[in-house]
Amino acid sequence: MNRRELIPALAVEALSVLHNERALVRDIDFTLPAGGVLTLLGESGSGKSLLAQAIMGNLPPPLRCEGRVSIGGENTHAADGASRHAGWGRRLALLPQEPWLALDPTMRVRDQVAETYGLVKGRPRLQADAMAQAALASLGLHDAAHKYPFMLSGGMAQRVAFLATHAAGAPLMIIDEPTKGLDADRRDDVLALLRAAQAQGMSLLCITHDIWLARALGGQLAVMLEGELVEQGDAASILRAPQHDYTRRLLAADPGSWPAWRATLPAPASSALVQLTGVAKSFGRQHLFSGVDASIAAGDVVALGGASGSGKTTFGNIVIGVTQPDRGRVARAGGLAPTAFQKIQQDPGAAFAPRLRLRQSLRDLVQLHRLDWAQLEALLARMRLAPALLDRLPHQVSGGELQRIALARVLLMNPALIFADEPTSRLDPVTQQQVFSLLLEQVQERRCALLLVTHDLDIARSVARRQIDVAQR
Amino acid sequence: MNTHLAPDLMLADAPPRRRLTRAQIAGIILLGLIGLFALLGPWLVGSDPAVQQLDRFLEGPSLAHPLGFDALGRDMLARLAHGARLSLALAALSVLSAALPGALLGLLAAWRGGWPERVLAALADAVLALPALLLVLLLSAFTPGGFWPLYVGISLALWVEYFRVVRAASRILLASAHVEAARLLGFGALYIARRHLLPELLPRLFTLMRFGFAGAVLAMAALGFVGVGLQPPTPELGVMMIELLPYYGEAPWLIGAPVLLLFLTLLGLLLLAPEREAA
Repeated sequence: MNRRELIPALAVEALSVLHNERALVRDIDFTLPAGGVLTLLGESGSGKSLLAQAIMGNLPPPLRCEGRVSIGGENTHAADGASRHAGWGRRLALLPQEPWLALDPTMRVRDQVAETYGLVKGRPRLQADAMAQAALASLGLHDAAHKYPFMLSGGMAQRVAFLATHAAGAPLMIIDEPTKGLDADRRDDVLALLRAAQAQGMSLLCITHDIWLARALGGQLAVMLEGELVEQGDAASILRAPQHDYTRRLLAADPGSWPAWRATLPAPASSALVQLTGVAKSFGRQHLFSGVDASIAAGDVVALGGASGSGKTTFGNIVIGVTQPDRGRVARAGGLAPTAFQKIQQDPGAAFAPRLRLRQSLRDLVQLHRLDWAQLEALLARMRLAPALLDRLPHQVSGGELQRIALARVLLMNPALIFADEPTSRLDPVTQQQVFSLLLEQVQERRCALLLVTHDLDIARSVARRQIDVAQR
Repeated sequence: MNTHLAPDLMLADAPPRRRLTRAQIAGIILLGLIGLFALLGPWLVGSDPAVQQLDRFLEGPSLAHPLGFDALGRDMLARLAHGARLSLALAALSVLSAALPGALLGLLAAWRGGWPERVLAALADAVLALPALLLVLLLSAFTPGGFWPLYVGISLALWVEYFRVVRAASRILLASAHVEAARLLGFGALYIARRHLLPELLPRLFTLMRFGFAGAVLAMAALGFVGVGLQPPTPELGVMMIELLPYYGEAPWLIGAPVLLLFLTLLGLLLLAPEREAA
C-alpha cells in the first residue's frame, strides 16, 4: 500500500455551521478514504447542502463554521474557506444540483468543457479543445459537442456538467442531489457516471435524499437529521438493519417499500367523469400523441405512462381543460363546477403568485368563492402546517410545506379530479409519503379522481389502479 | 420534529427588507425640492417672467433678485421657476400618457394574442422605425411653437417602449404555472392582472418611466434649442438655454441655472433606481 492511499481524500472533524448562536449543522465527523464513496442521506432542510458548502468553503455571509476540514491530507480550519478556494477544480470539485441550470446557456458544450482544461489546467486553446472533444466522446457525447445546453436532455446536461467540473482532474468530487428531477432511466445514467468516476480512482461525497441511489452506490453511508449525523457506517449494513429510529422511518418512506395503497382504495364509480376519444396533440412540428382514448371515473387513480417528452403533462392538461386538443373529443360529466378540475404542479414554488404573501393568496380564494376560512384552517391543521407559515412569501417556505399548502388550496375547491403532475419529484421520501397519503385520503373520502404523472415507477406501482399510455401510436 | 430549518435559514439569508436605499431617499428629497420649486416657485417669486426692465439687463445677482436679470432685463429666478413648472409638467404628462396606453395595449396584446397582437405589434414597429425626434419635428412643423404637437409627439414616440416591454413580460407571466393555477381556481382576468401581473410589471414600468421622463425633458430642451419646440418668450428650460447661450461669457450663472436644474432633475431620477439595477 502506498502513502497516497493512506491519506483520506476528505476528513471532517467537529464541523459545525452556525447562524448567530444557533447551530444549523452540529459536530460532524467523518472520513472519506481515497477512492471511496460516502453518501450523505437526509431529508430536505437537514443541513446536507450546508455541510457541502462548508467543506467547499463557500458558505453565504451570515453563516460561519467551526471545526477542521482536511482535503487530501491538507488540514485547514473550517472557517478558512479562502485557502480551499485555491483547490477548486484541482483538488476538489462540486457537481451542483440540477446541473442544467449551472451550465452557461450561451456557450456551446465543447467550449464549456474546454474552458476548464484551458483556464484551470492552463492548456493552450487547441489542445484544450481536443481534450474536451475526447472527454465528451468518452461519455458518448461527441454529437453534443456543438450544441447549446438547452438542446440537451437532463441526463446529457448532467454528463456535460460532470466533465466541466471534472476536467481539471480533482480527485475529490462533491455531488449535490444528482438524481433530483430525473426519471428512472436517467437515474441509471447518473449511477453509471458516478461508478465510472469511482473506477477512475475518484473519491465521491454524494449528497442525496434518494435511497435508491444510496443503495446502488454502496460504500459508506451517513444519515443526517436536523444538522446532526445520527448514523454512519457501511451502506449495505445500515440499509439492511438501520439502528436509529429516524433511519428506519426514512427507509420506510422510500417509495420502494410503500404498501400497495391502491388495494385500500374503494372501487371507482361506473360512470365516467371524463371521456376522451381519439385525442391528438402536436406542437408545431413536434408530434406528441394521437388517437388516445381514455375514460376516468370518480374515485379512480390513474397513472400516465410514456417516456419523458411524450406529452404526459400535455395530456393531463387536456383532461382538465387547460389545453385544447388538436383533434378528438373531451366529454366531461355534467353538473360539475367550473373549478372541479384542479392541478398540482411539479414545482410548488412556481404555483403561487410570487410577490403575494400566502395568506393573501388564500384569503382571495376564500373570498372569491365565498368559502369559510375555518375550513381552510382545518385543512392546514390536518396537513400539520403552522398557520404562521402563511405570513411568508412563497419562496420563503420549503418545497414540502408549499406543496402541502398547494394541496390544501386544491382540496378547498372540492375537486372532482386532481391532475398531479410529478407532485413529489422535488420532495424527500418522508414528505413524499405524507403528500401521497393526504392525496389518497381525499380520493377515499370525497370520491375524487386522481390522474398522476410520475417518473417513479415505485410510486406508480403502489398508488395507481391502472395506467393510461400516452406514448405515440 | 423540526422540518423548518431550511425556510428559517432562507428568511435569515434574505437581506432585511429595507424599503428604501439611501440613494433613493436622496433622490426623493432632491426631486421633492425641485417639484416644490416648480409648483410654488412662480408664486413665491412673484415677479412676472415676461416683464422687461431693459435698464437692468444682465444685472448680477442681488438679495431681491437672487439670479439677477437676463439679457432683456427679465427676472431670472421668475423665469427659471416658470420654466421648471412648464418643462417638468409637460414631461410628466407625456410620460404618463405614453405609459398608460402603452402598458394597457401591451397587456391586451399578450392576453388576446392572435390578430390584435399582430396589428398592435406592426403599429409599434412602424412607430419605432421613425426616430422619435423626427416624429416630433414632423408634428411640430404643422403648428410650430405649440404645446400640443410637442406633447402628442413625445407621447406617440414613447408609448412603444411600454407596449413592447409589457407585452414581452406578460407573455411569459401568462404562461407561468401560477397564472395557470389561478385560472383553474376560478380567478378572473382582472384578478390575475392585479395580483399576478402588476406586481411583476410595475418595477419595470417604473424604470422605463424614469428614463422616459428624463428623455422627455431632454427632448423638449433639444427641440427648443433647434427652434421647433416652444418659442420665446415662453420660459421653458430649453428655450432659456438658447436665449442665454450668447451671454455665457458675461453672466455664466444665467445659462448655468437652467442647465443645473435639468442636471439635478435627471440626477434625482437616476438616484431613484432600485439597488439591484444600480449596475
